[in-house]
Amino acid sequence: MYSYKTGIPQIDDVCGGFDAGTNILILAPPMSYADILAYALIKPLEGEYAIVLSTNERAAEVVDAFRLSGADKRFIGVIDAITKSSTPTIADTQRLVFVSSPTDLTGIGIKFSNMIETIFEGEFSEGEAGLFPPPIRFCVNSVSTLLMYRRLEVLYQFLHVLTAKLKKIEGVGIYLLNSESFDDKTLSMIKQLMNCVIEVKVEQNTSYLRVQGIRGVSSEWLKFSVAKGQVTIIP
Amino acid sequence: MISTGIIILDDMLGGGIPRGSRVLYSMEPGADGQLFIVSTFLSVLAQQIPCLVILPNTTVDAFLHDAAAMHGSAIDLSPQTVVFMDAIDRERIQRTAKTGPAREREWQSRIQKVCSEKKVEVIFAYFDLLYEDCGLKKGLALLDTAVKGHKPTIILEHLNLEGKTLVDRFISEFSFDLVITIQSAFPPIPQFSFFTIATMSWSKVRKRSIPFIISDGKIVPYIPRIVITGPAGSGKSTFVTSASDEGHSVDRQGVNGDTTTVAMDFGNIHGKTFDITLYGTPGHTRFDPLIPSLLHHAMGVVVVIDATKPATFSRARDLIGLLAKQWIPVFIAANKYDMKGAVDEQGIRSSLGIPGDTPLFLISAQKKADTHRVLKSMVDHITRFSY
Repeated sequence: MYSYKTGIPQIDDVCGGFDAGTNILILAPPMSYADILAYALIKPLEGEYAIVLSTNERAAEVVDAFRLSGADKRFIGVIDAITKSSTPTIADTQRLVFVSSPTDLTGIGIKFSNMIETIFEGEFSEGEAGLFPPPIRFCVNSVSTLLMYRRLEVLYQFLHVLTAKLKKIEGVGIYLLNSESFDDKTLSMIKQLMNCVIEVKVEQNTSYLRVQGIRGVSSEWLKFSVAKGQVTIIP
Repeated sequence: MISTGIIILDDMLGGGIPRGSRVLYSMEPGADGQLFIVSTFLSVLAQQIPCLVILPNTTVDAFLHDAAAMHGSAIDLSPQTVVFMDAIDRERIQRTAKTGPAREREWQSRIQKVCSEKKVEVIFAYFDLLYEDCGLKKGLALLDTAVKGHKPTIILEHLNLEGKTLVDRFISEFSFDLVITIQSAFPPIPQFSFFTIATMSWSKVRKRSIPFIISDGKIVPYIPRIVITGPAGSGKSTFVTSASDEGHSVDRQGVNGDTTTVAMDFGNIHGKTFDITLYGTPGHTRFDPLIPSLLHHAMGVVVVIDATKPATFSRARDLIGLLAKQWIPVFIAANKYDMKGAVDEQGIRSSLGIPGDTPLFLISAQKKADTHRVLKSMVDHITRFSY
């Protein structure tokens, strides 16, 4: 089974990275730079692909963020759920696709499936072939925004389908959720869909993360920083 | 009748949708079927039938742009027979009406006003958010009570996250006249989409799933590829050549004077509504590594065996074992069944270890009618095959 390296020795050294088919919730308060952590964790390594469902940033901004972290943009796809509301005539490209708004779960589902198919068909990266079957890292940034537009029960059902598909193609999924804006029931339901939770907190300008749900990996709080798409655990 | 704008679907419906019907295009998550309602909308537009389009999850501009992209050409709104209510209307309703019942009243009032002023005959609605805002019963009631004394045709698209249970509710609880489910397979199974008529109130139709592709802005049925395989010398090339309207084989002379396929056979059959492409594999084991790539996007496999050569059955059995790992229908065609020494059907089933429900045809690969009988049955089977 393929393992997705995280760049975090506390995970990679113990179990080789995230197992294929793992869905991970990043539970973080606002302004904790959790999106930077998420992007670092889904930055595609050689032969891999990454897809971001963005409800917060425009596709161009997402691609820029990956470019600055040294990722090859030919292996990165973005499903942009915000640009179309201001630019209705924007057209899809091979790797940047647009849906009308975060409410449009039909469109999101279709664009996600089509993008996966394009990757499996080897038509995603301008002739550059990755590994096969293609290892795909997927990120939803963010579940919090989707929850503002759709009811919890509906979103739960939708994410249930999405996480199952990720498992089926042996990808890995990272889902960002604001830990302070939702009640316990919401957090609990979303957690049910996940195999692993990474909690993030910030204290005195220092970021900490805690991994729960990976056998053998300590659930202690670890100081961390992210630079150029690389997570560093600070001793 | 209102044309759906999809030829094969109109044929299956007996010409289209009777006026006053309630229609649901039920979309499975990820199934690329948005063109269904768009095609029907464009058909209504072309017929200049007054209609209302309710788009709570997008704006009119974005909808028209997406519809034009799907359809392949700009949408002509010049007949001015269409009225839109979009995400901006929903926002206004959410802002001005603070409670659920107040919002329902506001929706209903707006819909009724448009319907009576514009004499709306067809209501198109993207139903997801109405369902979420008002619930299923009340959401549908908003559309039902739109025009008193006049029953408009209601056509919905809905992302079905609840599966068959919800489809059954639309049919039994809310008496929808036509429910079409749109689904798709997902990698690693080759991706393809298919639609199924789950119910049709005005005529009996055998429930079947029709694979489709989107070509030039139209939904067309599509049987992408049928693979013909089997032991060497079983008659695969003859089958492909005999069945095809056109085709070719890459053969060379074998050591005993026979010809043997060294690459693959290829054939095309032009049907009334779709084409079938046949790919014949070489039969020798050394070519087995080719088979997985030929099975890519295949939707059915015919294993041809020579009924007079039981010694080759073990090879056929191996191939069937290989195919069992794929999620595709497999048929057996026993060639030369009418020749001396041919093993009978029971003997073939027993030797190949295939169950009674695996279709087995006794054929002569040289007879076009025999090969077409197999393929016709295969297509019929594919379109009902439960993926």
